[in-house]
Amino acid sequence: MIATESCQDRSARIAGLVSAARQGDADAVGQIVTELSPLLWQVARAAGLSRGDAEDVLQTVWMRLLAHLDAIHTSTALTAWLVTTTRREAWRVRAAERRLLPAEQELLAALPDSGPGSEEQVIIDDQRRTLWGAISQLSPRCQELLRIVAFVPRPDYPAVAAKLGMPTGSVGPTRGRCLAKLRDLLASDPAGSPR
Amino acid sequence: MTHPDDLELLDSIREMFQAADPMPADLPERIRFALTLRDLEIEVARLTAEDGLPALSARGTEQSRTVTFDSDSLTIMIRIDTNQDGTARVDGWLAPPQRREIEMKSAADSLSVTSDEQGRFAFARVPRGTAQLIVRPAEQGQGNAGRSVVTPALIL
Repeated sequence: MIATESCQDRSARIAGLVSAARQGDADAVGQIVTELSPLLWQVARAAGLSRGDAEDVLQTVWMRLLAHLDAIHTSTALTAWLVTTTRREAWRVRAAERRLLPAEQELLAALPDSGPGSEEQVIIDDQRRTLWGAISQLSPRCQELLRIVAFVPRPDYPAVAAKLGMPTGSVGPTRGRCLAKLRDLLASDPAGSPR
Repeated sequence: MTHPDDLELLDSIREMFQAADPMPADLPERIRFALTLRDLEIEVARLTAEDGLPALSARGTEQSRTVTFDSDSLTIMIRIDTNQDGTARVDGWLAPPQRREIEMKSAADSLSVTSDEQGRFAFARVPRGTAQLIVRPAEQGQGNAGRSVVTPALIL
């Protein structure tokens, strides 16, 4: 399980997979795809893509990675390159669509109900709805930032944040400021009230 | 300046988005399919336009679909029709027009054809399912395209 793996172990394992992938090891490529696609999915969706467009963009990004493997040697460099490239590809798709379709910011659909479930599940659903409601009141920039950051492996975070143009301590939205704002919104919400 | 609860809050955000907007479960499998290439010297073609419904609609009505891919050096346009036996027929054009070897990779096997001087090519019968086009590098002296041009996997 990833959860029990130390940061150093993970970095070494990913670096090994990248090295094997460079030698043409399809299985290594597959393992990297399985591990990092959920992050890239959230990056593409946070950039406002439809689910179908997000699928296309992920394929494009992974294919482009194969052509760039020579320049990537560490887990951190890999994550940073993938996140940045996914965002850039997502913007490219959105720019192309704006020419064809009326400008339309796809808003996230309502959080699905997990249906009849245990009392515990009901509490979890309520907590998620509260969190959802609070996040949707943040600025679009903060929403995107927190959504991406939540999925980035911790040791890779500083490099990704720098690539996203919000290094720690910079002016403007940073992880710390967006989280502080979110905490304020959650505090002003009557605890546990369903939305 | 990390708040003590930051990581916990980020964990909750991750769980919430995983529940609300999960990645399609079969997506990594499709990506892995598209990535099993023989060489890494590739030029990626992006899907830039798609018209028409999937060639076989819910009622079984035949309808053609056109898909366009663009890469730095090449535009690939394909039209997908349904044969009577249920397989797909794929007619394509390369722009700029040129003779190239073109491979259609499907889950089962792969088919190869060569485009004519006008850049036209056709696969008469392609099995339904996931498929990917690979335009092989031009021969020496036949232009400057030294890399394979590869499309994303598409569902036929």
